[in-house]
Amino acid sequence: MGYVLSNEGINKAFEALRKEYRIFAPVLKVGEGRFKDTDVIRYDFVDSYDEVEMDKRSDFSYKDIVTPLSESMFFFTEDQIREANFDASPVIVLMRACDINAVERLDQIFLANGEHNDYYYERRREVIKFALIGCGKTCEDGFCVDMGSNKAEDYVFSLDPKDGKVYVNVKEDDLDAAFADNSESSADVVPQFVTENEVHVERPEEVPLTLFKDEMWDEYSKRCINCGRCNFVCPTCSCFTIQDLFFTDNGKVGERRRVNASCMVDGYTDVAGGLVQRRSNGERMRFKVLHKVYDFRKIFGYDMCVGCGRCDTVCPEYISFSNCINKLNARVKELEG
Amino acid sequence: MTTRDINTKKFKKNAFRYSKVRGETASRVRCPGGEIDVESLQRVVDIAKKYGQGTVNITNRQGFEIPGISLDDIDAVNHALQTIIENRGVNQEEYNGGYPASGTRNVVACPGKKLCPFGCYDTKAFAQEIDKAIFPNDHHVKIAFTGCSNDCAHVRLNDFGIMGQTEPQYNRDRCVGCEQCVKYCKKRSVGALSVVNGKIVRDTNKCIGCGVCINYCPTRAWTRSKEEYFRVVLLGRTGKKNPRLAEDFLKWADHDSIKKMIVNVYAYLDEYLDKAAVESKEHIGYIVDRTGFEEFLKYIMKGVELGPKCEMQGRLYWGGKRYDQTNELKKSMFRFSEREE
Amino acid sequence: MAGKNEYTPMPSRLQDIIKQAENEWTFRFTYVGPVKPGQFFQVSIPKVGEAPISVSGIGEDFVDLTIRKVGKVTDYLFENFQAGDSLFIRGPYGNGFDVEEYAKGEMIIVAGGTAVSPIRGVVQYLCKTDHPQDTHLIAGFKNPDEIMFKPDFEEWKDLIDLTVTVDGAPEGYEGNVGLVTQYIPDIPIRDIESCKAIVVGPPPMIKFSIIELVKRGFNEEHIWISDSRKMSCGIGKCGHCRVNSKYICIDGPVFKYTEHRALVD
Repeated sequence: MGYVLSNEGINKAFEALRKEYRIFAPVLKVGEGRFKDTDVIRYDFVDSYDEVEMDKRSDFSYKDIVTPLSESMFFFTEDQIREANFDASPVIVLMRACDINAVERLDQIFLANGEHNDYYYERRREVIKFALIGCGKTCEDGFCVDMGSNKAEDYVFSLDPKDGKVYVNVKEDDLDAAFADNSESSADVVPQFVTENEVHVERPEEVPLTLFKDEMWDEYSKRCINCGRCNFVCPTCSCFTIQDLFFTDNGKVGERRRVNASCMVDGYTDVAGGLVQRRSNGERMRFKVLHKVYDFRKIFGYDMCVGCGRCDTVCPEYISFSNCINKLNARVKELEG
Repeated sequence: MTTRDINTKKFKKNAFRYSKVRGETASRVRCPGGEIDVESLQRVVDIAKKYGQGTVNITNRQGFEIPGISLDDIDAVNHALQTIIENRGVNQEEYNGGYPASGTRNVVACPGKKLCPFGCYDTKAFAQEIDKAIFPNDHHVKIAFTGCSNDCAHVRLNDFGIMGQTEPQYNRDRCVGCEQCVKYCKKRSVGALSVVNGKIVRDTNKCIGCGVCINYCPTRAWTRSKEEYFRVVLLGRTGKKNPRLAEDFLKWADHDSIKKMIVNVYAYLDEYLDKAAVESKEHIGYIVDRTGFEEFLKYIMKGVELGPKCEMQGRLYWGGKRYDQTNELKKSMFRFSEREE
Repeated sequence: MAGKNEYTPMPSRLQDIIKQAENEWTFRFTYVGPVKPGQFFQVSIPKVGEAPISVSGIGEDFVDLTIRKVGKVTDYLFENFQAGDSLFIRGPYGNGFDVEEYAKGEMIIVAGGTAVSPIRGVVQYLCKTDHPQDTHLIAGFKNPDEIMFKPDFEEWKDLIDLTVTVDGAPEGYEGNVGLVTQYIPDIPIRDIESCKAIVVGPPPMIKFSIIELVKRGFNEEHIWISDSRKMSCGIGKCGHCRVNSKYICIDGPVFKYTEHRALVD
């Protein structure tokens, strides 16, 4: 059902939803950016609609809720292993279409790659419902249209703010009352999707093996500072590293946790004994880019990248991922020709 | 050419320089915080064209100096300066009278937070605020603001050097232990960070609040404190007798305390400046050498209530070469030439 | 509800520790369940970490994991555990060697150093077939002190065609001295077309051994190798071991040579 809600109405609707759900949404964190007086938009739990950053794409994605940056797996005592608890109460995550498409990619890695499911992902994933934030216009750097991830149908309700009202399309009956009870009127609501980006990409169908060691990656060895921001903001990056530790007090109690990992950051491939793969940042760039627009597709049939453009926006060295895709495509054509 | 009978003390106080070229002067344009709007900049150009010789000096203290002006044109130049003085918000005593003083030097500032990725506060705004509070004054006081511990503004050569600090805020849950903060703190700063159990520990005593960790953190685990803090360094100077760097007086100080301290210094100078000083100009440091630091402290700390985080250096000692005692260079252990033999 | 937590370390009693070389010991872990040579386990030490270790032997109620003392986890293991102690493992993971395929005909196995571990189970299996003499094993080590699995070699030497060699040895050493590659041309093979091969060891050794095999007219499709990478999860999630579209932990560690050579790190 579709509804039109006033600002007061939508806040009341959130209040109603909060009785059963936690709401995880993009929030403007004032002053938490890299530089003085710069902000960051990242996900956090909210109580009201007014707390949600509805205008701009978030700098960090929703993925904190399914793959937290740092997550306890086990707690150890002298002779016991205890699985870490988590808050299993249901969550509604407010996401744009690109991110809803990104979850599908994470599902592949965590729930379909190999015979074992990732327990920690799965248990969080199970308590989550997606709500769509409509995109009236393209964001900076986004190229979701070319990646085919500008639309999403898998959501429980959608939110489209317009002229001081919020247009809501409710798909899940259980949630209908929260909006119906607080609406000004019913309406046929179709959530907005971006149909045109400023940025366009063309991807190669096949990438010849010679391209893996091609000179096109050399410029990134010089430009990239391997900080990994592109990975940490990416809604589809899923890599993690398991860390063990003991609490220094007595050494008898400890923890096993996992933290997000980045294939750009030093240490990603280091093994005991000293072997390291991909020392140069150009090689790391190639590893990442080809995973996003080629290697993942070889396994799962579609590309990993959803074209949200976050990696472009965040790169401190102004390296454009989308432009790299285009350079890759041009280079493949050149080598073929 | 008419006979000149000019009071040099008066034009020097009026921010015109004594020139080696007889009959000429240079107009010194005050730009608090080293900032100028393009309209004012155009006026500087116009004055240099009309009254000067088509060149402008950029001063070491971030002002402009228009040389080659005839002493006869001082009034005309003062008229032409009026827009600049107003645009720059510099206190004035007489409309069209030019600058009312030159003793307290232009307040210097690095670009600060508006431009620089490491800037911890608005250096220019603070500099301009202080300029408003202390100018005009004939006492020779040098004040400079720099955005971070890098001290690009060379505040350690000033009587009051203000360096921005931020207190890094650590969100453990957002830390993935990539250790880039540790690496960059070591390479670009003081090495105050270490890894314990995959998370970062900050040596709060060692940390200088430069914010390098915050800039390099890729996950926003490190963020800036809402509060702006400052390191205050005192009584640095260049000069012939005993040039020396300013020494640390406060860390984690607050804005209001700093403003009070700077304003307070003028009462101290009124009281203790050597009345026989040449051109009434004496570096504060030499006065402090006479009165003792305690007395200086008594004056500048009047009404100052430092915040709970603020730490103060109890005693200050300055170094630097004492040319009034020796101008000898120590002989090198290594011989670079045979001349000595 | 989420299914089984595959990350949960399973308690396992250490049945025995067999010292192969100074820094290479075989730890015999109690384990009952399906497992193949070439697969690996995560040896899991709470508060210290996990290390992926390939299976070097399989018994009724145990698996042998031959471990090189080389990092935080393995150092801790060497220094703190004795036979009878209990610790933790999880696995087995990875595809492993398809021993039945290898048992069909003639087989060449070239292994260098610690990499003898993953093929030990393969040889054990082939020894039990009715034609163990069709198995040709060339095992190379750096020097006589680093020769591992000596009792196995003693047992195998009359069953299979075994060559144990060292890269270098002090004067008076009576065994073979020379690189594994120099023995490949002389392996007696009846039908080079159908013969299969496993090559495991350091990357340069693999490369030159394969060159020698191909020189003899070997079908490249009949060569398998085993690879390793940094691993955290062991189950295709953490991403560290991915090379192109393959995850070493689930698509490997055993690969057909022709498939593996299309992987670029």
